[in-house]
Amino acid sequence: MRALGRTIGSEWAKLWSVRSTWWCLACALVLNVLASVTLGGAAATEAMRAGAAGTRVVASSPVVSASSFVQFALVALAMLAITSEYTSGGIRVTLQATPVRGMVLAAKALAVGPVMFAAGVLTGAVATAAVHLVLSVDAFGGFVVLPFGEVLSDLVGMGVFYALVSVMTVGVGAAARSAAGTLTVVFMLLMGVPLMVLMTGSPALVEASLRMPMFAGLAFMGSADNLTGGPMPYSAGEGLAWLLAWAAVAVAAGHVVLRRRDA
Amino acid sequence: MISLKNLGKRYGDRLAVDDLTLELKPGTVTGFLGPNGAGKSTTMRLILGLDRPTSGTALIGGLPYHRIGNPLRTVGALLDARAVHPGRSGRAHLTALARSNGIPQRRVGEVLETVGMAAAARKRAGTLSLGMSQRLGIAAALLGDPAVLMFDEPVNGLDPDGVRWVRGLMRSLAAEGRTVFVSSHLMSEMQLTADHLVVIGKGRLIMDAPLADVLAGSSLTAVLVRSPHAGDLADRLRAAGIRVDRLGENEIEATGASIERVGDLAHEAGIRLHELRTREASLEQAYQELTSGSVEYGANA
Repeated sequence: MRALGRTIGSEWAKLWSVRSTWWCLACALVLNVLASVTLGGAAATEAMRAGAAGTRVVASSPVVSASSFVQFALVALAMLAITSEYTSGGIRVTLQATPVRGMVLAAKALAVGPVMFAAGVLTGAVATAAVHLVLSVDAFGGFVVLPFGEVLSDLVGMGVFYALVSVMTVGVGAAARSAAGTLTVVFMLLMGVPLMVLMTGSPALVEASLRMPMFAGLAFMGSADNLTGGPMPYSAGEGLAWLLAWAAVAVAAGHVVLRRRDA
Repeated sequence: MISLKNLGKRYGDRLAVDDLTLELKPGTVTGFLGPNGAGKSTTMRLILGLDRPTSGTALIGGLPYHRIGNPLRTVGALLDARAVHPGRSGRAHLTALARSNGIPQRRVGEVLETVGMAAAARKRAGTLSLGMSQRLGIAAALLGDPAVLMFDEPVNGLDPDGVRWVRGLMRSLAAEGRTVFVSSHLMSEMQLTADHLVVIGKGRLIMDAPLADVLAGSSLTAVLVRSPHAGDLADRLRAAGIRVDRLGENEIEATGASIERVGDLAHEAGIRLHELRTREASLEQAYQELTSGSVEYGANA
């Protein structure tokens, strides 16, 4: 345990000593605010048009929908935490310091995961505040509201989602060992494959693709917005289970490659 | 301290390291020589557990590398000076390494001071010259104050002052009782630095001997004789089975015999000598001779 703690400390120091980490976080923040306000504006306009009594838009709800875009800025951060080691050859120095390879992978996941959780909660909070600030005005019908409990649960949900997607990315990065390969695989898992499947229109395939990480995350976060237009066919709890499963499989794959291959 | 037993590594159908058995002792600088592609770097990676051997074992103090707790405190190694994230400062790089092995933070400042790059410690690694990168790599190797040190081509890119500094550093590390294993292709440098030599070619051990023995054993080490009766002496030496070359009117060169033997034969024949001395082969020459059969990428000039 002590060795793991030290290795996490080392990975933590590495994470914050490169500019790319700060850039990715800044991108995530800007992207989150812009995408959330845009999606929130669309939702508010829609609510205004429907005009039914009791219609309301929770300010954090468009922020949850924006996760489909924001996730890529954070995926980039998680990816660089591992693939930059292969680009520079630094992985050989890392493995000299920590020759138990599973420990290196665990430490990276455990250093990146909490950062992503915090990034999800904090950028989400800023974006929620921005949505509320911009869209709660009368011009948008005053439908945008800020109920504390719902917002808090959305923010925590996003934090968990980003943390798990990042852990999955670290696993894929260890397996693919290159930035280009990792980005391709993670993009296909998150968005590429589900979109292609939606285009085929095959109900069985669509049903299956709804278990892929991004939709599992949307289900977990309780988003009504999924690209199929219909409600999610399973509960938030099952969404979390699928997310955990994807992260676990990716980390297991990364571990196998890291252990088997020469560094 | 480092012991290799029947160590082998195969990449596809190419044997990079072939049945290598070695013992490296504390308190000595062991020079690791061989042509490009001979397997020097691979051997070092195998010792550090970065590559998995296809056969045999590499142990450090009786343990495989991955079984050593906080290994940077036992083994310090510089394999590739450029293997640092280009955006990370030298100090941050060392700080992360120190944390991973529970090495106190003050060591970072100490080793930066030792390698003479305290002033450049906050520069991003990608902006350092090759020489400065080498110093940073050496600092990383020294960080855990380890008993075993391995350096792959440490003087690459260093200026003459830097080269002299590295030589002194290696000597002093060995004098402190550490095991120092250093590869180089600069023979003149090794001749000044190493006590012991390990030469490999095409992954196989060619020689494992003290530097002095390697030099003495070379056929290029010769006895030079100047005598007014050089011709007569040449005949006597040839009759005794010694190879003799005539260098001039009064000068001959005998190879394959000790200086004592040549002197004795001259004395027995009553031949006056004006000069009798050995001409030692340089390590460069001895090395050429040893590896002439095993150059991986030799040019057919």
